[in-house]
Amino acid sequence: MKDKRSILKYFPLLMLGMIGILPLFMTSNYYQTICCQAMLYAVVALGLNFIVGLSGLMTLGTAAIYGLGAYTSALCCTKLGMNPWAALVPVLFMGWLIGKGLGYPSLRVQGVYLSLATIGFNEIVRSFLTNLEWTGSGTGIRNIEPYRIGDFAFDTQIRSYYLIYAVLLLFIGIAWKIVNSRWGRAFVAVKDNPEALQICGIDIANVKITAFTLSSVFAVVAGAMYAHFNRYITPATYTTDLSISFVVMLIIGGLGNFWGCIYGAYIVAFLPQLLRPIGLSYKLIYALIMMCLVVFFPNGLIRDMKKYLTFKRALKGGAASENNSQDR
Amino acid sequence: MQNVLFQLIVSGTAMGFVYALVAVEYTLIWNACGLLNFSHEKIIMLGGYMFVGTCITMFGMSNLLSALLAILLLGVFGILIAVVIFIPLRNQSRLIAVVATVMLGQILNEAAVLVWGPVALMPKNFLSGVFQIMGATIAKSYVYIIMISIFIIIALQFVFKRTKFGKAMTCVSIHKTAASLMGINVKASMVITLMISFMICAVIGIITAPIFTVKQQMATMIALKGFCAGVIGGFGSLPAAIAGGLILGIVENLAGLVLPAVFKDAVAFTLMILFMMFSPKGLIGVKQEMDRKRQLRTGEV
Repeated sequence: MKDKRSILKYFPLLMLGMIGILPLFMTSNYYQTICCQAMLYAVVALGLNFIVGLSGLMTLGTAAIYGLGAYTSALCCTKLGMNPWAALVPVLFMGWLIGKGLGYPSLRVQGVYLSLATIGFNEIVRSFLTNLEWTGSGTGIRNIEPYRIGDFAFDTQIRSYYLIYAVLLLFIGIAWKIVNSRWGRAFVAVKDNPEALQICGIDIANVKITAFTLSSVFAVVAGAMYAHFNRYITPATYTTDLSISFVVMLIIGGLGNFWGCIYGAYIVAFLPQLLRPIGLSYKLIYALIMMCLVVFFPNGLIRDMKKYLTFKRALKGGAASENNSQDR
Repeated sequence: MQNVLFQLIVSGTAMGFVYALVAVEYTLIWNACGLLNFSHEKIIMLGGYMFVGTCITMFGMSNLLSALLAILLLGVFGILIAVVIFIPLRNQSRLIAVVATVMLGQILNEAAVLVWGPVALMPKNFLSGVFQIMGATIAKSYVYIIMISIFIIIALQFVFKRTKFGKAMTCVSIHKTAASLMGINVKASMVITLMISFMICAVIGIITAPIFTVKQQMATMIALKGFCAGVIGGFGSLPAAIAGGLILGIVENLAGLVLPAVFKDAVAFTLMILFMMFSPKGLIGVKQEMDRKRQLRTGEV
């Protein structure tokens, strides 16, 4: 047993290391693009984890936040001629603003109402982005310049990959710090026992708004990275389906499971691409697999897999199972 | 101007009744299972496709007969979905059921493309034509929608107030544990509710087929606005859902007079968010508040 634990302890590091050397094996531009997307999704999922995973609030408007981040950065660069790095300042301000704006309704609106309100938010944002003249309406914004340091531009797939990888590591660090601080414990307490939290003298309203602000800051930064990496954005990307995908990532990883966000994001980003050779019906198969994952593994893929394995072992009988486990 | 106003109010009322039916359909599931059916837009679409694609085009049946068969098929589908998704997930976190039903919607969407093709279908000679009333031109389909919706709502009221199994379903919606202690089969009641709800979805799909034509996105907006109607009226109550639907339909249509047409959809969501912020219980909440104030004033308890 002891060996197993120590291996599991290094699993996250192993995963991050593997992500780091992945482009050496995946030389095709196409797969590297998908990898970049998966990493950005992971950043959004890490942020969403504060609201959905830890605090247990059901929000389905993340795609709109991700999109607003992308549009803020892209508009600042194309219309105002700002440096992409400098554009991160208005992007962060946008994230703070959305977080506050969505956080206050979440105090009054609970449970399924909140999902509905956030779906409404998503649809309003998308309808404005599609119809307003200065956001490029349906065609979106093209020719967004990439990030650059001096003369070194992050314009090829592999350069963007390592830029986004660095951002992912940075945000994992920040999220890890927050989850293990008193804020992280307060988020979990909001889900488990709000009354006890109040008795301890912690303001629930403050905790919820902080969770929303953190999550939208993560999402807008990921959105801005996406805009400068893809260099072309359209409002058609930021649908409610994308918001649902973000939540699916969390469920596949296990709600509230920190490292689950990352492999959940990779599964959601890669599965459709792996199924593409099937042909016309690949989206059908994808949705079917996702539904089965959600129905049969509601506590996360790895956590439930463990449960099923121990259940099977228990069926074999006590003494035999002990021998078996020692053999392994 | 008067004619235009009259036309807008009639079409608004018809759309309001459609929103009300959507609100009724998911309120039933909400009451029975405590879960929301986020795939209902695709169920409505499936109803439309079953009606036009399968029954009329493939089997070559008459309009009325194929409508009845489509409703029946959707009822059977409802029983299936109840057993596969709603009953196993009723005790899980609600988020998981939400995502599972969304995925069900995507499956139906993709399946519809594969089975019936990407081209929009249109029923022939079904609820078509216009009425001339007081100088205004009104499509017959709007009038039929109003009549059919009123019939369904009255029938539902009859089932819930007069029949034994309808009363049992009301009990389940009020308190599940107490209902099962009284010898009511809660799971069976869920299955029947799902069946009725899916049948209403089929009706919505059939009566809106002449307006929106049968395609993948035919029900996206009415499904979302049905949610808005439920929130505006007050969640979980059938009369409130109907009131919410009618208000939404008429307000939205009249807003088209002052606002650009593209922002017509934003009106509904803005109205919903306003209600959520200031009266989360919807119109019911407003009524309760007024009753309380009157009691305080008159000194009654």
